[in-house]
Parts: sequence; structure tokens; C-alpha cells
Amino acid sequence: MFRIALKMLLGDRGKYFGIITGIALASLLMIQQPGILISIFSRTYSFISDVALPDIWVMDPMVKYVDDSQPMLDTQLYRVRGVKGVEWAVPLYKGNQRVRLGDGQLVSSNLIGLDDATLIGGPAVMLKGRLADLRLPDAVIVDEAGATGRLAKPASPGKKAEPLQVGDILEINDKRARVVGIARAGATFQSQPIIYTTYTRATTYALSERKLLSYILVKAKADEPVANVTARIRHDTGMAARSADEFKDMTFQYILNNTSILTNFGFVVVVGFIVGAAVTGQIFYNFTLDNLRYFAVFKAMGATDRMLRRMILLQALLVGFVGFGLGAGATAVFAAITRERPGLSMTLNWQLLLGSSIAVAVIVLFAALISVRKVLKLEPAVVFK
Amino acid sequence: MNGPASAVQCKGVIKRYGSGEAEVLALRGIDLEVRMGELLMLVGPSGCGKTTLISVIAGILDQDEGECLLFGQDITRLPADERTRYRGQAIGFVFQSFNLIPTLTAAENVAIPMLINGMPFESAVAEARSRLRDVQLEGREDALPTQLSGGQQQRVAIARAIVHRPRLVVCDEPTSALDGETGHKVMQVLKNVAVGSDRALVIVTHDARIYEFADRIARMEDGRIVSVEQAERGTKENVP
Repeated sequence: MFRIALKMLLGDRGKYFGIITGIALASLLMIQQPGILISIFSRTYSFISDVALPDIWVMDPMVKYVDDSQPMLDTQLYRVRGVKGVEWAVPLYKGNQRVRLGDGQLVSSNLIGLDDATLIGGPAVMLKGRLADLRLPDAVIVDEAGATGRLAKPASPGKKAEPLQVGDILEINDKRARVVGIARAGATFQSQPIIYTTYTRATTYALSERKLLSYILVKAKADEPVANVTARIRHDTGMAARSADEFKDMTFQYILNNTSILTNFGFVVVVGFIVGAAVTGQIFYNFTLDNLRYFAVFKAMGATDRMLRRMILLQALLVGFVGFGLGAGATAVFAAITRERPGLSMTLNWQLLLGSSIAVAVIVLFAALISVRKVLKLEPAVVFK
Repeated sequence: MNGPASAVQCKGVIKRYGSGEAEVLALRGIDLEVRMGELLMLVGPSGCGKTTLISVIAGILDQDEGECLLFGQDITRLPADERTRYRGQAIGFVFQSFNLIPTLTAAENVAIPMLINGMPFESAVAEARSRLRDVQLEGREDALPTQLSGGQQQRVAIARAIVHRPRLVVCDEPTSALDGETGHKVMQVLKNVAVGSDRALVIVTHDARIYEFADRIARMEDGRIVSVEQAERGTKENVP
């Protein structure tokens, strides 16, 4: 009877595609919306992820999240270097600076100053130019999103803005900066352009302040547990020291607790799930209702409850599997399209696919359960009505 | 070993619908025998209980009082699944509105009772094709119900009712949706394939044009059998 169940389902193509489309759309909602939310959350700590080399981030104890750098004295760097178990420690400047474009427009950008000697913390993927070119006079590297977006060369009337190119000149706080490279960097939460330069040059671009050191990036010696070195830095210097994962978590928690993004976007995700569940359940239940008379015929003709249960379960699993596959496929296409875009993007990982597939399975099984209940309660005598 | 002489033996069957003031007595103490090898027609005005009675006879509706033996067995005493399986093997159904599955071909529709009884799909469809030839539908085996005329659909339904060689076939208004000539042909087919010495056929009908096919005609009124006539001889039997 399984083949009969499948033919009942697949035979009416209009209805079948209706069910599949409904489940595919529901799946798409259930994967895409959380995917975008995860992507937004991952942006909160993308800078920490990009600066992959150090084990430990040392900062002022008042720092609440990665964009909230509280400047320290340069002398703190030497204190950290003196802590037992530290392999190396390098300075990092991170601050917002105003960049003047050709038409005089000012764009707030994220200026990153890398250790002059090692350039640790620089972008991993260079699209144009070389990281080492930062050692050239007035050199800066701009991230791709900034170069093609907010820092793009202003358009002449009737023309589109042109992406920033190697060799172009910018003004950072009235000081000259020459673009020597374009790099790929993780999109940040605030979506500001990212400009890399050396630490020394960054301090000259920055407005004159007594303290300019944002972070100290530390590598622990191979034989020293990171947690021990972190604790020792805290004890010996009085500064805050966190592993990269701890710093990511702190940044994430701060954004989560101090913005309404989770409430707003989370609401959309929950509504998406409920709508998806309701649509999926309803359309499958309607399919069973449409076929109720035929199930009664089977029942009258000797089909046992177990047989009918298994037929409906098979139908539910098939539409769930195909619908979810189409929905996940469409979401994957969306993710691929938006992957390279600086604006809207989504994260599609196996955890999300597994979670949403379980959700769809639960929904179709629930719909099947309600349908089965309806069929089992059905009096076969209705066949004569 | 001799089997029972009666296909169906109902005694004092009472069936109620609803309760309290809304209670309706659909069957008011039915005594009826359907003999082996006969075609019995149940006739009577709408609402007199004909459909309720064949539902009880076929084991798809429980009576409230009395007993209805099917080939000497009271199937209401069987466990639910066993009773369902018994029904699947011993009874065939023909419905007024055919109840063919619209997404299945004629052969697949006919194969359903055998599939329910556990026969593999290919064998069941092969047997179904052979049965469709018995009801003069050769060449239409792969047609969907919507591609068949009303008469052809009813013949598919008849083939489905007999394909697993049930001992009792119950039909509800099998010709009411058909014109006179088609109805006549359908009845001819039904009588040829469903009636035999070890089997019986019960037909509920309003259609006086097909009375000639009956061996006996039981008339019902207001939940009771008021007369049972030998159709060909036209003699009335005593009805208590």
C-alpha cells in the first residue's frame, strides 16, 4: 500500500506542488531568518576573528566590547612583554577616524594600526597589493566593502561611484594617505570601512591624545597554558586580559544585552518558525482531509489502523523531505549570492541545517499525527454516505 | 465439511443514532437472512435504514442490539484489527459514487483490496488487469477514473469489489448514477461475476429498473423489513 500512498500524493501534481512549495517556503523562512541573525551576531566579533594570530587580547579593564577600546599608555606594552610565559606582545590601534573623500564628504572609518615590525593583525586576504606595502610612506590598505562602498570615489553627475583603487589618495584627519592595497575583511557590526596602516602612522592620523594604545596582542609560549598566561598578565599588570574566545563572547554578550537586535530579529525568527509550522501543518492536514473519503474506503476494505498510519507517515516524510530540500537549496543559493556582498549576508552552517531539518520533521510528523488521528477516528461507514 | 447455509443472518438488529431527545431509531429490530448464492435487493424510501443495514451487515457499523452473523460468525466479537482483516478478505464493496481513487489507474484501483491483503504490487495489478477483462474493460486498464464514463467507472468499482473473491458483495445504489441502458449492463456484469453458490450479493437500491436481477427483494420502511418477495415468482414470504 506504500506505492498507493505515494501515488495518491504524487498523482495530483497541483496539490503535491502546493504542499511542497508551502513546506519549501516554510523551510526557507526557518533557515534564512536565523541564518541572517547568526550572520549579524558573528559580525559583532568579526574583527577578533580576523586578527587570528594572538592567543590573548590585553585591554583596559573598562573595555566592554571590541569597538569600545579604551586607550592605554604605550608603556603597558613593555610591562606585558615582561610577564612570564609571553612569547611576544605587539600593539594594536583601533579607533574611529574621519576620512575626507574627493568631494569633501567625511566618512567615519575604522582605523587599525598594526605593529610596524610584524604587521600582526593585518588582513589575511589581500585582493590587490601586498600587506608589506604598508611600510611605504603614507600607505594604507582599505577593505573591499569600504573601497567599493562608502569610500568609493564620488561619482560625477550621471555616473556611478568608482571603487577605490591602489594609488588613490585619501585624507585622514587632514593627513595624506595613499591606498597601497585592497583587502578582504569580515563585515563589522557597524558596517564601517576598515583602513589598515602601521601602528606608528595610525597614531599620527589619530587626533593628538596622551594614550593611543587600544589593545596589546599576545602570543603565549608553546609550553604555557593560555589560561595561566592570561591570569598572570591580569595579576602582574592590572589590565584585563582575555583569550580570543572570551573576548568574542564578551563582545557578543554586550551587543545582545545592550541592543534590541535579539528582540527584534528574534521575533521575526520566531514568527517565521510559527508561520512555517502553521503553513506546513495546515497544508498537509488539508491534503489528508481531501483524501479522507478514500481513507475511509481503505478502512472499509480492510486496511488496518497500522497500515493507514504508515501510509500517512510515509506521505508526510516524503513531502517534508522534498520540501525541506527545496527550501534549504533556495536558502543556500541566497547565502551564496549574498556571501560576497558587504551588506546583507547570511550564515548557513550544518548546525542550522540540522536544527531546521529537525524542526521541519517535527512539524510534518505533528501534522501527520493530527491527520492520522482524524483518519483513525473515521467511521468506515461514511463510505456509504 | 459443509459451510453455513446463510451468508448473512440478522436477528433483532437495532441501531440508534444520537441520544436523548435527538435519538433516531434507524433499525428497529431487523430479522433478515441472505442465502448463499442469491442476489438480495434491499429497497425502500429514503431514510428507511437500508444503508445502515448494509453497513451493519458488512461489519463497518456496530448494531446496538441483536446480532448479525456473517457466514455463521459474529464478527463484532473479533478484535478490531482481526475484524478489519476479515472484512478485507470476505467482503467486497460497490458504492453509489464509485469512490475510485482519482490519481490511480483503473488497474491500480482494482488492485487495492489485494494490496490491503498483502499481495505484492506487480502481482496485484496483473490480477486486477485480468478482472478488468471480466467486466469488459480490456484496453482501459491504464486509464484514470476521469478518463472513463460513468458506466465504465462503475464496472471498475465492481471489478475492485470482486477481485479478491469475497464471499459477500454489498452494493449501495450501484446504478443510480447511470442511465437505464448502462445500469442494465452494469447489473448484468455484477450478477455474472459476484453471484455464486458459495457467495452472495446484497444490493441497496431505489432503481426499480433493476429489480428483475434480484432473487429476492426485501422492502424496508421506517427501520423495519416489511416484506421479502421472491422476485421471479413474485411470492411474498411471511415477515414477523
